[in-house]
Amino acid sequence: MASIVLSNVDKIYAGGVKAVNGLNLEIKDGEFMVLVGPSGCGKSTALRMIAGLEDISGGEISIGDRVVNHLPPKDRDIAMVFQNYALYPHMTVEENLAFGLKLRKMPKSEIQKRVQEAARMLGLEQYLKRKPAALSGGQRQRVAMGRAIVREPQAFLMDEPLSNLDAKLRVSMRASLNQLHERLGVTTVYVTHDQVEAMTLGDRVCVLRDGLLQQVDTPQNLFDSPVNLFVAGFMGSPSMNFAYAELTRDAGGAAVVFAGYKLPVPDSTFAEKPGLDRYIGKKIILGIRPSDFEDSVAANGNAAGWVRIPVRANVTEELGSEINVLFTIDAPPVEHKDTVAAQNDGDEEETTLPLTGDKSLWTARVNARSHVRPGQNIELVVDTHNLHFFDVDSGLSIGHEANIGR
Amino acid sequence: MATDVMPVASSETSTRPKPRRTGGGNVFGGLSHVALVIWSILVIYPIVWTFLGAFKTNTELFGDNPLALPQHFGWDAWGRAWAKAHIGLYMVNTIKVVAISTFLTMLFGSMAAYVLARYTFRGNRLIYLLFVSGLSFPVFLALAPLWLTMKNLGLLGTHTGVILVYVAYSLPFTVFFLTAFFKTLPTSVGEAAMMDGCSHTRTFFQIMLPMAKPGLISITIFNVLGQWNQYLLPIVLLPGDAEDKWLITQGIANISTSAGYEADWAGLFAALSMAIIPVLIVYVIFQRQIQSGLTTGALK
Repeated sequence: MASIVLSNVDKIYAGGVKAVNGLNLEIKDGEFMVLVGPSGCGKSTALRMIAGLEDISGGEISIGDRVVNHLPPKDRDIAMVFQNYALYPHMTVEENLAFGLKLRKMPKSEIQKRVQEAARMLGLEQYLKRKPAALSGGQRQRVAMGRAIVREPQAFLMDEPLSNLDAKLRVSMRASLNQLHERLGVTTVYVTHDQVEAMTLGDRVCVLRDGLLQQVDTPQNLFDSPVNLFVAGFMGSPSMNFAYAELTRDAGGAAVVFAGYKLPVPDSTFAEKPGLDRYIGKKIILGIRPSDFEDSVAANGNAAGWVRIPVRANVTEELGSEINVLFTIDAPPVEHKDTVAAQNDGDEEETTLPLTGDKSLWTARVNARSHVRPGQNIELVVDTHNLHFFDVDSGLSIGHEANIGR
Repeated sequence: MATDVMPVASSETSTRPKPRRTGGGNVFGGLSHVALVIWSILVIYPIVWTFLGAFKTNTELFGDNPLALPQHFGWDAWGRAWAKAHIGLYMVNTIKVVAISTFLTMLFGSMAAYVLARYTFRGNRLIYLLFVSGLSFPVFLALAPLWLTMKNLGLLGTHTGVILVYVAYSLPFTVFFLTAFFKTLPTSVGEAAMMDGCSHTRTFFQIMLPMAKPGLISITIFNVLGQWNQYLLPIVLLPGDAEDKWLITQGIANISTSAGYEADWAGLFAALSMAIIPVLIVYVIFQRQIQSGLTTGALK
């Protein structure tokens, strides 16, 4: 096991396209690091550079205490799991698992032992004599994992290993992956475009965009204090609500005013976000997580310090355990380049229907007991302790420790 | 009310279009069957004629009904062809030449195609186009220069010379076909092999070649058939003074040309049959692979 350190790593393709731009990242020994970002953000390229499948245009990558820039993949002592499994179709499961070990001239008994062990761990024992074509998608995925495990490498590299599985299997494989990492404790770099996968799997998550590192932190920190509009909009589902707002301070204390609503900003917020007071009287972008809303009826009792706002529910999505309430607020949608990039998940076609006109569509996640119906007027309460403030021009989170001085 | 109407409507819609659809299918099915029957006759008739002719006498052959059965099924003509016309020797020669040249074609062709399909380097496209331009190069055009070159190399009248020329002429289509085929195979399998510790050579021989098996088999059959039936090149490269090196096509032609007035037509037919049978056997054995090889490229 080893740590992986990327320092100032660049990848420039022919034609001058910078796929990865000055990436600095330290993956600690035994850590599960997830690289996440929309399509084309350079996350796969970064992984393939660690693997040695792509040349490194600039900078340095080291695994353990070795600089591996010029080492071929086989000498880097790493194993990779591919999105389409990449099993050898003409070999049985057993041969697939043993292939890498045979090439390393390992004694037969040791190969046999490791293959059996991995097969037992992954529940593949009864399939060892089958060829990949006779396996289901989930089984093939497990063989691909097994091929990495038997090698007992310094690190696992996984390139969207779950995205070819159906939704239900993906969830259960996610849990198995977690357990596997818990058990083996091998340094893992995992690439995905699915932020739910990133949040659930990663010890730390690295958000990339256009080849640039945005933020590296634990999933909870990414969620609670995103460094900029892009990270705020990309992490979390449903994504964060944004609106242009004005920060004011009068006799009643500080408040943020938008779309006819006025939310008080508690003093603790100013303490947490140094520099926020300089924005008083100025325009900012306000962000509120859907989970920081609650139906005032359902929230009865624990709404201390929460502010009530009346809204009209346009659409309700009942998920059983909670309800997503979609409502419009009387303010134009925020069209910052960062929020657009966070919504645009690579598919150019995937734009929402312009049903809301020039109003922003917000989402509130409320308790399932709320019984709110589309078209109803309801009163939501907002947790004002968790408001997010962003600079209108730079899109940076105001008062975030990484942004101080920027 | 609605539930009363529904079953009627659904039974109507389910019964009505069916006969119409099969009716349309019948017309096309019938036409295609007619076409297939005509095609089969065109192919089978000469073959049956050849096989029957191998058992007849010259008088019988020039009788009224070409498909009439011979008086008795004797193997005289086959024996004459095998022994007197040396078809046996020529067949062994041909098998030797075709086996070696097909093997070399497949070896070099697949290696070249793999590199052209998978590696980016300066001149990749140029080399590929050079190979492909060989497709548009007619055999006739090169006969005289080929003869001269082979003579200068001292390879005229040797099997080595024929094999080299066969390989050269088979490579363009082999490379063209296999490059496209290798491109359809997923790159990640090769990458997985590299991560597992395969060298480039081992990746090619142990991973990519087995994966390309359907394509390799169909193109092998194609090359075997093409080289087996080659007539023009052996005539030029294995001239009359190297009679013991001749290939089967030359031997067959020789039966009809050397006999003068009293041609041994039955012997000729017997020799022809002997040339056809191995090819038929090969085709029947590999029929399934040929078909799957031709379609996999399209399916992916």
